[in-house]
Amino acid sequence: MSVALRNAQRAVPVRRAPLRRAVCALRAALGASCFDVGLVCAGNGLMRRLNGAYRQRPEPTDVLSFPFHRVAAGELPRPRCRDEYNLGDIFLGVEYIHQQCRATGEDFDGVLAVTAAHGLCHLLGYQHNTKPEWQQMYQKEVEILEELNRLTGASLRPLTAGLF
Amino acid sequence: MLLARALRAAAALRPPPRYPPRRLLSSSSPRALLPPPAAAPPLARSLWQLGGGGWRTALLRPRRGSAGGVSCGCGGLHTEGDKAFAQFLTDEIKEERKIQKHKSLPKVSGGWELEVHGTEAKLVRKIAGEKITVTFNINNSIPPSVDEETQEDQKPDEQEPDLTSTPNFVVEVIKDDTKQTLVLDCHYPEDEVGHEGEEESDIFTIREVSFQPTGESDWKDTNYTLNTDSLDWALYDHLMDFLADRGVDNTFADELIELSTALEHQEYIKFLEDLKSFVKCQ
Repeated sequence: MSVALRNAQRAVPVRRAPLRRAVCALRAALGASCFDVGLVCAGNGLMRRLNGAYRQRPEPTDVLSFPFHRVAAGELPRPRCRDEYNLGDIFLGVEYIHQQCRATGEDFDGVLAVTAAHGLCHLLGYQHNTKPEWQQMYQKEVEILEELNRLTGASLRPLTAGLF
Repeated sequence: MLLARALRAAAALRPPPRYPPRRLLSSSSPRALLPPPAAAPPLARSLWQLGGGGWRTALLRPRRGSAGGVSCGCGGLHTEGDKAFAQFLTDEIKEERKIQKHKSLPKVSGGWELEVHGTEAKLVRKIAGEKITVTFNINNSIPPSVDEETQEDQKPDEQEPDLTSTPNFVVEVIKDDTKQTLVLDCHYPEDEVGHEGEEESDIFTIREVSFQPTGESDWKDTNYTLNTDSLDWALYDHLMDFLADRGVDNTFADELIELSTALEHQEYIKFLEDLKSFVKCQ
C-alpha cells in the first residue's frame, strides 16, 4: 500500500525520500501498513484556506488530517473493498513548521516526522480535546516515535507533549 | 527526450513528394494546357500574367482604386481586408506591448546561464564535476484549457487573465568522467493547470528517465526508458531529491514558468510584427 506524497509548495525545500521513509515506518508502527495514505506538503496559503474552510480558523497551521474512516481511537478501519484501504489525507504545513523551527532552533526534518506522526494518529481516530483523549493520543505518539527512533537513531518526542 | 522524439516523428510522418518539383516546369506539365506566355515564366506567376483582358485576370488582379484593393508596385495583392488586417495587428501589437511584463527575459536564480535559439531555450549550470542542462520549447506551451475556461466564464468588462506558458522540459545531467548522460523528461501536471486542486499537486513531475550517449544530438530509442507511471514511489522520491540537489526544484520550476511565459510573449509579439510586415508588404 502506498504513501502518495505531493510537494505542493515552493517556500521551503523538502527532502521527499526521508519523509516518505519516516511516514512508512510510522504507519507500520500503527499496524496500518496495508492502508494508503495521502501526504501533501503545503504552504501557508493552502493551510490557511483549508483551516478556514474546515475549522473556521483562517490561519496557517502545522498539520490538518482528513480521515477516510470514522473509527474510535486505537481501532483500525474495516474496509469492505479495495478502495477503502485508505486512511485519508494529511496536509503538512511545511512552511509554517519551518518558520516555527527557525524560531525555536529545532531540527526541521525531525519536526516534520513528529508532525506526520501526529497527523497519522488523527487519521486513526485519536483526539486531544480532553485530558483522557490527549493521554491516549500522547501515549500512541510516544510508542510509534520510539519505533522510528529505534530505526533511525533519532530521539523524537511527541508534538503534544505538555498539552494538558 | 520528447523534443527529439517529436522531431523524429514529424520527419517520419512527412509524406515524400509524389513528383520531383522540376516536373511542374517541364514542357510536358499541365502548363501546356494554358496559352504559352511570351517569356515562359514559372507556372505560378503565369496564372497572374496571362491574357490582357480575360476573365481570369479580372478576378485575380485587383484594379487600382477599386474597393477590392490597391497596388504598391511590389507585385503583391493588397486589399481593403489586408489594410484592416494590418491596422488590427498594429493595435494588437500596441496592446501586447502594454501588458508585456518583461522587456528583457528574466534571469533564473542559482547560477543558470541562458541560451535562446528561436523558440527553444537552454539553461546551463556547472557544479562540481557535473554539467546540468534544462531545455524547453515554448511552442504549444500554453495549456488550451485556460483559453476555453476564460472564454466561457469571462464577463465582458473583465480583464483577460494572464496566459502562462508551462512547457515540458528536459533535464540532462552530465558527469565529467562518464560517457552517459542521465536524461529526465519533466512536465507540469496538465490536468491540474487552471483547475481546482492545482495547489494540492506537485509543481512538476518526472515522466521518463533514460541514459543517452553524451555529446550525441540523436538520442537512441533503443536505450531503456523508465516510465514513472508505474514506478516505485520511493525511487521516484529519490529522483526528485536528486534533481533538487542539482537546483531543479519547485522554486526553479516556478522561475522556468516565468521565463518561458516571457519568452513566449516576446516571440508572439515578434510573430505579430512579422505578420504585419508580411501583410503590408513593407
